[in-house]
Amino acid sequence: MKRLQKSAASIKEEYSIRKVPLYLILIGLPLGLFVLSLTLGRYQIGPIDVLKVMLSPIFPSIAEGIPDIAIQLILRVRLPRILAALLIGASYGATGTAFQAIFKNPLVDSNILGVTSGAGFGAALALLFFGDQWLVQVSAFVFGLLAVFLSFFGSRLYRSSPLLILTLMGILVGSFFGSLTSLLKYAADPLDSLPAITFWLLGSLNGITWQNLLPLIILTILGLIYLWVLRWRLNILSLGDAEASALGVDPTRMKLGIILFSTLMTAVAVSASGVIGWVGLVIPHAGRLIVGPEHKRLLPVSISLGAAFLMIIDDLARTLLPGEIPLGVLTGLIGVPILVLLMRRSRTGW
Amino acid sequence: MKKIKYSIILLVIISSLVITACTNGDLETPNPESTITDAEVDPDFESTEPIEEQARLLIKAEPDLIEPVTVLYKAFFNGESPSFVQNDPDLLVAPPGEIVDLHHELPAVFLNDGAMYPQNDNEEIEAFIQFAVSVDGQQALINAGLLPESIDLTDQAGNIVSINLPVRRVLSAYGPVTAMIYSVDAENRFVSASYLGARDPLGSSVMEKVDSRFPDIQGNESFSQSEFNIEEAAMLEPDLIIGNARSGWLETVAALDVPVFLYDAETSEALKEAVLLTGQIFGPHSTYQADAWVRYYESIVGSIEEKMAEIPVEDRVEVLFTGTEPLRVASGDMFQSYIIETAGGISASSELEGYWNNINLEQVVIWDPDVIIVPPYGGASVEAITESDEWQILDAVKDGKVYRMPKLVAPWDTPAPDAVLGIIWMAQQLYPEQIDLDCSTEAEFFYNTFFDYEITDEEIAKICSIN
Repeated sequence: MKRLQKSAASIKEEYSIRKVPLYLILIGLPLGLFVLSLTLGRYQIGPIDVLKVMLSPIFPSIAEGIPDIAIQLILRVRLPRILAALLIGASYGATGTAFQAIFKNPLVDSNILGVTSGAGFGAALALLFFGDQWLVQVSAFVFGLLAVFLSFFGSRLYRSSPLLILTLMGILVGSFFGSLTSLLKYAADPLDSLPAITFWLLGSLNGITWQNLLPLIILTILGLIYLWVLRWRLNILSLGDAEASALGVDPTRMKLGIILFSTLMTAVAVSASGVIGWVGLVIPHAGRLIVGPEHKRLLPVSISLGAAFLMIIDDLARTLLPGEIPLGVLTGLIGVPILVLLMRRSRTGW
Repeated sequence: MKKIKYSIILLVIISSLVITACTNGDLETPNPESTITDAEVDPDFESTEPIEEQARLLIKAEPDLIEPVTVLYKAFFNGESPSFVQNDPDLLVAPPGEIVDLHHELPAVFLNDGAMYPQNDNEEIEAFIQFAVSVDGQQALINAGLLPESIDLTDQAGNIVSINLPVRRVLSAYGPVTAMIYSVDAENRFVSASYLGARDPLGSSVMEKVDSRFPDIQGNESFSQSEFNIEEAAMLEPDLIIGNARSGWLETVAALDVPVFLYDAETSEALKEAVLLTGQIFGPHSTYQADAWVRYYESIVGSIEEKMAEIPVEDRVEVLFTGTEPLRVASGDMFQSYIIETAGGISASSELEGYWNNINLEQVVIWDPDVIIVPPYGGASVEAITESDEWQILDAVKDGKVYRMPKLVAPWDTPAPDAVLGIIWMAQQLYPEQIDLDCSTEAEFFYNTFFDYEITDEEIAKICSIN
């Protein structure tokens, strides 16, 4: 045990000394996985051909001789999907880190205010009554925001200890929407809408197209920039409100901004992919193990690891079997053991 | 005591025989046996003495069928005795015989080897025939010992189920079998039934015309594959419960102490067996209806297979059957695959197992189907595929070969009797040149024969529009 702690500490030290290679890894890892993922799929396309296709917008002649169907598959099916995995993974990593900081609690992620439960209900509602992909996405987004809105303003009804009340309200609102979703599942036809709702609640990037990727790209990049800019203030917020005020930061406004942006990011991610659990919870812990609790470094690491983790998970989901494996199944199966392992190994420095 | 009783009965019979002999073959004799003897002895006897208006119906019956007809007649006309004749009967009673020409009205079969053929157009004859094939007619024959009091059948889950006859109050928690019960003309036995495809405007409007008790007997909310409201079931006092073999409530229902008959009809053979079992549950008339359906099904499949024999395997059309969403497809275990194969196609997703499978577009590209079919339920639509940019890479989409399977009530891709129309429709879509079956003719015949429903031109246009 001692040896393990030591090795964790030495890794930390090593990376803080050799800062430059770490950042290279942080950029290189998702990029490399992105390119690798493009070559993976049920349909066999060689890596060279994939590269040629990717370069074809710049050099149109390069993709000559490659079957049209392969080009279309890469550009219309694989590219948006892998991009979505990258963005959603990055988004969960960043928002998870931010929420763990402002709630001063390592066991929360951006779902703590009920955004996922709300989105799940919105999606189930649309699947039950319309079944249209685009409406499902819009409805999930709207209800995700509604759930957080309810948690936030519900907590204002009670005066003291706002953080605890906010957490409690989040749990309450989350279970309320969870019950509503169960009600819809109960009412859903077991032959058609019920499997669709169940599959959505387990998460999948299968339906991603350029069209529904657009809001994801915009909101995720905006949110990531916002969190990136504020990342050093997360340290202050994680100290507590009194300390933050003493250091000249208005903790309430700050938190409001972070919650707002994180919620937008999470809602748009959930609405595109369905419920993908564990990424926002596990990734910040993995990041802490590598670079420690300092948010200036933790946030970039979480973004990078989140993106890489979800791309790997999605690669498995779409290539292992002829049928799609729900992402929620894989993140749970792989994420939970990792979390348990990390909690055993690293005892300090949340 | 008993001996005395029997001897009295014997005495009555002998004396009646003597009386009939004296009246020289009076046709109104209450005893059928004597009629047989008379008929055999003197074939022309009734012409010598025409019977008068005491007789309500003149019946000509085969010797073996005189006793059951008498039982039915007495039960229906409050103990009156029937009059048997040789010529010019109102009603002819004979074995139903082989079903040769299906496009003919089916006879009313009241015993496995006895059927009624009206010879005159008369309300009383019609009412009597209706009675003969009804549950009360069945009861009268059971009371007389001419039909069994109970039947042991092996259901499709492999259980031997002992059912007391007649089944008067049936609860169906499985939509496809509800449709089968309509097809074997036993829908008046329902206390509650779960329907398939009766929620949409077309399905519910047709059901209201087919059955005056619809939608009151619809029990979709209480009884389905996943739900079984046991208290409501207890209140309905069913004497038989019908369900799917993979229902989630099989343990709980045991508390009711009512026989449960389970179905699992995901193949062509199992579907035929399911319809025949359904017929046997409800008696001779239903058994005959079930036989007629199987005969029809086999004749359709046979004629398609005959045509398919001329098409080499490599020219067979590859079909992908999608579900409520474009990227959810039917597995090889599902009935949809059997429909495709029976119609002479190749099911693209037959390597998949289980129920509906979620897949990704790359897998569809690998399969590269010639035709894509979407089902007629759950918001599935042809447009979801044809108007999607991503799907344009498939030849089937480029060629516009994406079709929606039709339905009237039960979807034609489910293991219900209507599936036979699904096979016809599929074969027509895949091989329009070779298949000479006509969807509208067959749909009209099918719903007329098996649902007693005259399909309207408007409905025909909806379900048989050429894609």
